[in-house]
Amino acid sequence: MHFYESSVITTTDGLHCQVYGNEHPDDKILVKPKYIPTDKISSDSLPYRFISGRKMNRLDLWTDKDKLKQYIDAFTKAYPEYIFKSPMHEKSPLFFVIPKKNIERAYSPRVGLAELMSMPNKDLDDHLRKVVDLMSFLLKNDLELKDFGVTYSTLMGHYSPNMSDINIVVYGKDKFWKLMRYLQEAKHENLKWKTYEEWEQFYKKRNRHMIHKKEVYIQNMYRKKSEGFFKETLFIIFAVENPDEVWFKWGEEKYNQMGIARFKGTVIDNKDSIVRPGCYEITDTEFIDGDESCKGLPVKKVVFYSRDYCMLAYPKEKIEASGVVEEIIPKKGEKYYRVVVGYFDAYLSKRRDEEYIRVLDD
Amino acid sequence: MVHFYESILIDTVDGLQCKSYSNEHPEGYIIVKPKYIPKNVIEGEGLKYRFLFEKCLVRFNLFIKKEKLLVYIDQFKKKFPDYVYHCKDTKNWFFAVPKEKIKKIHDSRKGLSELMQVPKKDLDEYLTLVRELIDFLTKSGVSVNDLGITHSTLMGNYTPKKSDIDIIIYGKDNGWKILDYLKTAKHKKLHWKTDEEWGEYYKEHQTSETVHFTEEEYVKHMRRKRYEGMFSSTVFTLFTVEEPNETWFKWGEDKFDPIGAVTIKGTVADHYNSHVRPGYYEITNGKIIYKHGKDIKIDNSLKIKRVVTFSIPFVQQALKGEEITACGLLELVTPKSGEKYYRVVVGYFDAYITDRREKELIKSDI
Repeated sequence: MHFYESSVITTTDGLHCQVYGNEHPDDKILVKPKYIPTDKISSDSLPYRFISGRKMNRLDLWTDKDKLKQYIDAFTKAYPEYIFKSPMHEKSPLFFVIPKKNIERAYSPRVGLAELMSMPNKDLDDHLRKVVDLMSFLLKNDLELKDFGVTYSTLMGHYSPNMSDINIVVYGKDKFWKLMRYLQEAKHENLKWKTYEEWEQFYKKRNRHMIHKKEVYIQNMYRKKSEGFFKETLFIIFAVENPDEVWFKWGEEKYNQMGIARFKGTVIDNKDSIVRPGCYEITDTEFIDGDESCKGLPVKKVVFYSRDYCMLAYPKEKIEASGVVEEIIPKKGEKYYRVVVGYFDAYLSKRRDEEYIRVLDD
Repeated sequence: MVHFYESILIDTVDGLQCKSYSNEHPEGYIIVKPKYIPKNVIEGEGLKYRFLFEKCLVRFNLFIKKEKLLVYIDQFKKKFPDYVYHCKDTKNWFFAVPKEKIKKIHDSRKGLSELMQVPKKDLDEYLTLVRELIDFLTKSGVSVNDLGITHSTLMGNYTPKKSDIDIIIYGKDNGWKILDYLKTAKHKKLHWKTDEEWGEYYKEHQTSETVHFTEEEYVKHMRRKRYEGMFSSTVFTLFTVEEPNETWFKWGEDKFDPIGAVTIKGTVADHYNSHVRPGYYEITNGKIIYKHGKDIKIDNSLKIKRVVTFSIPFVQQALKGEEITACGLLELVTPKSGEKYYRVVVGYFDAYITDRREKELIKSDI
């Protein structure tokens, strides 16, 4: 079942969730809970926010691992309906879902942006005017307003002017790539890309030095045109898949876990690397290390859930991926193998610090 | 005959956001003022729009020019006839949400209770200020459990340094306790408008309510009110609401016959209920000094006993012992028990689109 990623859903029991994929099991929407009420469970290791008249915990997957595990265990008991055991996985990873009956309201980035763009200029505050101005700039390429959306705090209305990011959604992969090409060349007096130095700071702050070679990492990030500053405010552009272009359909593949391993290979296609979950098709794969059960497997895809890995690599570039190795048995066609980085349960174990994708410099 | 706290936000299934406008309501309805309505409901010039929760909404403003408001209310009534309650008791109409149209009620008391539990380190500058203001107000002796937050403070769509802080006080005694406390209480962040600032405000915010006042009169009335102040440069407003056991009327128990617009004078005998919506002043020696219509006939044997206001600018306008002048709709009240009497009502919704708009006032002879 299709439901656009990056949409926001509030539930009847007060959770605010972000949709976490474009394909979903029947009657459920895969999500990441973003804000969780504190009346049933709470954790001082997670930040608190006052949203919609409630004290909420903001789910931070990078908080203290043991405390995160305790919290997720408590969440599982408090909200059992929101945990999904996938029958398509031999051993189901952790998925969060909203049963359809629990949806209070689904917020559409596309509807929200169309509404925002219909606002008279005089009634916009500074933040919203920035969004409108940014959109006016993005619309100078051939895309139409209906190809865009706005999400998260801007959509929900709880943004902080001069602090909150602007999160733009592009509907359709081809359209997103087209926009990226446009942004390679486009100029605007209020548009600024992160400088080499700013990416260097980001690299240091997010401990990327543990994994990535600095020069390669910064170079890879620097070429991304999905993240920049408009009137000094950070904007991020996401792609979501239209129903006719999803790279997999839920329920049409079965997944057997083979083990944990590192592989390297050469990217042959990155067109699906702009969405969540995203995917790189690779060839000439080599097992580096990990579980013996994974040795010699002809891995064809590297799949990821973290947006950090979007557009990281391009065809002909070599990448290395560390994650869960799965055997895929499609309803039609031949079985194949893939490495998956960033299932939710990875954040609850040592895999959190061990899973990654990086571009190799040779 | 249903209690529902005033100043509470209600989302409806049709995409309206309304604010309850009374503490007593007819069976099956909540009397409200629409606050935000979908943009396609009303069209025309002079409207203000807000982008809230995915939608472009029109801010429903009773204070825009009468001719425009007339058109907008007409558009609203055609689009949402269910949201207009024709009251048999008052022979008047009210905006109201039918109970089956309620999607969500935003609980002000629970909202503040939740906010008070958020660790201070996780509050932004606006919410930190709200907490500080609440801490200060509770020094009056009113429990935090008798306070609430509403509007953008509750909904989370506030803008630091711009949005007001809107506080609800539950209970009339609690309301007076805080208002009395604020007469003398000091806080380094607390600021009341000076006479000069009220004078400036008067010049900049001319409304149908202020035109009846000279600048000096306006300043005299406002300087002693304590329902609106500044806390660290942010405006805060205090709304007192009635508990179920203390409402001063029960919807449906009395009958009201509209007579016509009059201006009266009288002496305030009791102002205890003047800090709620609707609020009233108990008066003695009530006399009609002007009839705004030829066909207004009254029974001189009956007393004019009350001046009622739905309009916030006229709450806490006069104190016991003061002589007041009031212009509004004269109604003959037939109570469930007891003698008939007259009252003057200021601020019914229909007043905003009729000749009464320019006439209605409550003024104290101070």
